[in-house]
Amino acid sequence: MKKNLKIIISMLLSASLIFSLAACGKGEEAKEINIMTWADFIPREIIEQFEEETGIKVNYKEVASNEDMQSLLEASPDQYDLAVVTDYMVDILRRNENIQKLDKDKLPNFSNLNPVYQGQYYDESDEYSFPYAISTSFLLVNPEAVEELGANPITSYEDLWQEELDKNLVVIDWSVEIMGLVLKTLGYEYNETDPEIVAQAKDKLFELKDNIMRFETNTPEDSLLNGEAVAGFMYSNQAVKGQAANDKLEPVFPTEGFPMYIDGFVLSSEAPNLDYAHEFLNFILEPEISAKISELTSFTNPNVAAQEFLPEDFKNNIMLNPTDDIISNASLYIDVDAVLEEYEHIYSEFKMK
Amino acid sequence: MFNKEKFKQNAPAIPVLIWVGFLVGLPLVFVIILSFLTRDDLGNVVIKFTLSNYKKIFDPTYLKVFFNSFLLATLTGLITLIIGYPVAYFTANLSPKKRSLSIGLIMLPFWISSLLRTYGWIILLGNTGIINNILTKLNIIQSPFNMMYKFSTTLIGTAYMLIPFMIIAIYNSVDKLDKSLLEASYDLGASKRQTFLNITLPLTLPGIAGGFTLVFIPSLGLFFISDLLGGGMTLFLGNVINSQVTKGRNKPLAAAFSIGMIILVLIILYLYGKLTKDKKGEGLF
Repeated sequence: MKKNLKIIISMLLSASLIFSLAACGKGEEAKEINIMTWADFIPREIIEQFEEETGIKVNYKEVASNEDMQSLLEASPDQYDLAVVTDYMVDILRRNENIQKLDKDKLPNFSNLNPVYQGQYYDESDEYSFPYAISTSFLLVNPEAVEELGANPITSYEDLWQEELDKNLVVIDWSVEIMGLVLKTLGYEYNETDPEIVAQAKDKLFELKDNIMRFETNTPEDSLLNGEAVAGFMYSNQAVKGQAANDKLEPVFPTEGFPMYIDGFVLSSEAPNLDYAHEFLNFILEPEISAKISELTSFTNPNVAAQEFLPEDFKNNIMLNPTDDIISNASLYIDVDAVLEEYEHIYSEFKMK
Repeated sequence: MFNKEKFKQNAPAIPVLIWVGFLVGLPLVFVIILSFLTRDDLGNVVIKFTLSNYKKIFDPTYLKVFFNSFLLATLTGLITLIIGYPVAYFTANLSPKKRSLSIGLIMLPFWISSLLRTYGWIILLGNTGIINNILTKLNIIQSPFNMMYKFSTTLIGTAYMLIPFMIIAIYNSVDKLDKSLLEASYDLGASKRQTFLNITLPLTLPGIAGGFTLVFIPSLGLFFISDLLGGGMTLFLGNVINSQVTKGRNKPLAAAFSIGMIILVLIILYLYGKLTKDKKGEGLF
C-alpha cells in the first residue's frame, strides 16, 4: 500500500515536471500583446474597452516591483511587449538595452503629454518612454491628534522630530526614501554622496527612531485611520485613500521639498507585437481614456488634453492635481545606485538600534 | 555491477531525484556561485570573483541581524514546544476517532493562506482590533493598549504559524511510544511524574528535537510576518535578504546572506543529528 502511494506520488511529480517544461514552449501567433506592471495599475475597464474596440487580446502580467520587471525583461525580452516602470528604472533599462525606442509616427496622441513631466534625466529626449502616472510622497497628518499630543502643527519634515510625537509616525519602508527625507530636512539634495553630509544625515536619522511606530510601504494610511499614528510619510495615492476615508486628515507638502515619481510605459527590446503595442499606447494617450485611468487609479494625470475630461473633485484635489507651484518643490531621485549600498547599511543600522 | 532487482526497487525514486536536482540542487549551486560575484553600478550581476560579500555580512550591524534571527527562531521553538507538547501528548492518548478529529483541527489552518492568517492577527491585536475593543468597552482599559509592531508580536506570529509542525513531530514520537514500558514503570511503583520524566520524556526527545528543527528553520525566513506584525521595526535575516534582492538591487550580497542562513540551519541540523543519533534526518519526515 505504502509502496503504491510512493509510486503514485513519483508519477505525479514527474508528470508535473513534464507539463511545466512543456509550458515553456511557444504558443501560436495571435492578435495579442503582453503587458506587465503592478496589479491594477492599468484598470480592467480600460483593457476591456481596448480589447473590444480593437480585437487585440491583452495579457496582463502582475508583478510586485520595478526590479521584478527588470529581471523579466532581461530573462525573456521576447515574452513581453510593454511594461510600466518608474523613472529610475527607465534609465537602468535603457542603459542595459532592455528597452527600445518608441515609434512616434505610430503615436499621434503623443503630443497630448504635458512637457512638465518630459525630458527628464532618465530619457532626455523622450525616445524610450512616456509618463503614464505621476505620484509624489508627502505627509498625511491628523492635525487634531497632533494638537492633543501637545505638539506644534506639522508643516515641514523638521516638525517630525518633536519629542511629543513619540511613537506616533508611520513612514515608507525604504532606505533611499527615509535618507532623502532626512537630507531634505538638513537642506541638502537627495542621494548625497559626500561622506560628511551622509554622516550628518545619519545622526539626524537616528534621532528620529523613537518617534516612528511603524515602517510600512503598502498601507501606511491605515495607521492614521485606526489612530495608532498621527502623521505619516506616504505615497500620494495612499494619502488620497486615507483622506477619502477620514476627511480630518490633511495633506502637508513639506516646505523642504518632496519626491516625485514618474511611472512610464516602455517597450521591450524584443517586443514580438510592435504594431499592436503601439496601438495600445496610442489608445492610452487618448484624452478621455487617460482621464478615466486617472480617475480610476488616483494618480496625477500627465496628459494635457485629458484635463477637461477629469471630474471636478479630481481636479480640485490638491493631492491628485497639485498646482505647478507645489510641483516646483518636487524632485526625482537621481543616481540611486551610487548611494544604495551605503544607505541600505545605514538604514539597517538604524533599524537595529 | 548493474543490479536489475535493485534498480526496479529504486526506479520510482528517479523522477524525485531529477525533481530535487532541478529545483533544489541547481538553484543552490547558483546561489553559492552568485554569492562570490560582484554587482555593477546598475545593480547587474557581473562575473567577477570577490569575497567582499562575505566580508560585508560580518559587519556588526548584520551580525546583530543574525543574532536577532537566531533569537527569534529559538524562542519560536521553545514557545511552540511548551504549548505543543501537552497538545501532542493528549492527542496521542485519545481514542482513534477523537484523535483524527484533533489532528484534523491542528492541520485545518493550513487550508488558509498564511498571509491571510497573519492579517487575522492584526484584526485581533491592532489598536482598533477585537481585543482592544472588548477591553475598552468593558472599561478595563481607558485607551487602546498597543500590542502591535514589537518583537513579541512577530514572535506570536511565527509561533502561531509553525506550531502544527511541532505538534505533529511530538505526536508521532508519543504515538510510537511502547505503552508496556509505561505499564512496567507503574508496576514498579513509579509515580506519574517519575514515569513522565524518566520514560516518556527521554523517549520522545527525538520528536522534540525534530519538532524544534522543523520550527526553527522556517522561522528564519518568514519575513512577511515581521513586516506585517513587527511593523518593520527590527530586522531579521529574511527581511535583509528580501530587501537586498528587491529594493537594494544587490543579489550577490543577498546570496551571501542566504548562505549564512543555510550555515545556521546546518548547525541546527548537526545538533539535531548529535542529539537523536539520526544522522540522515529521517525522523524529520
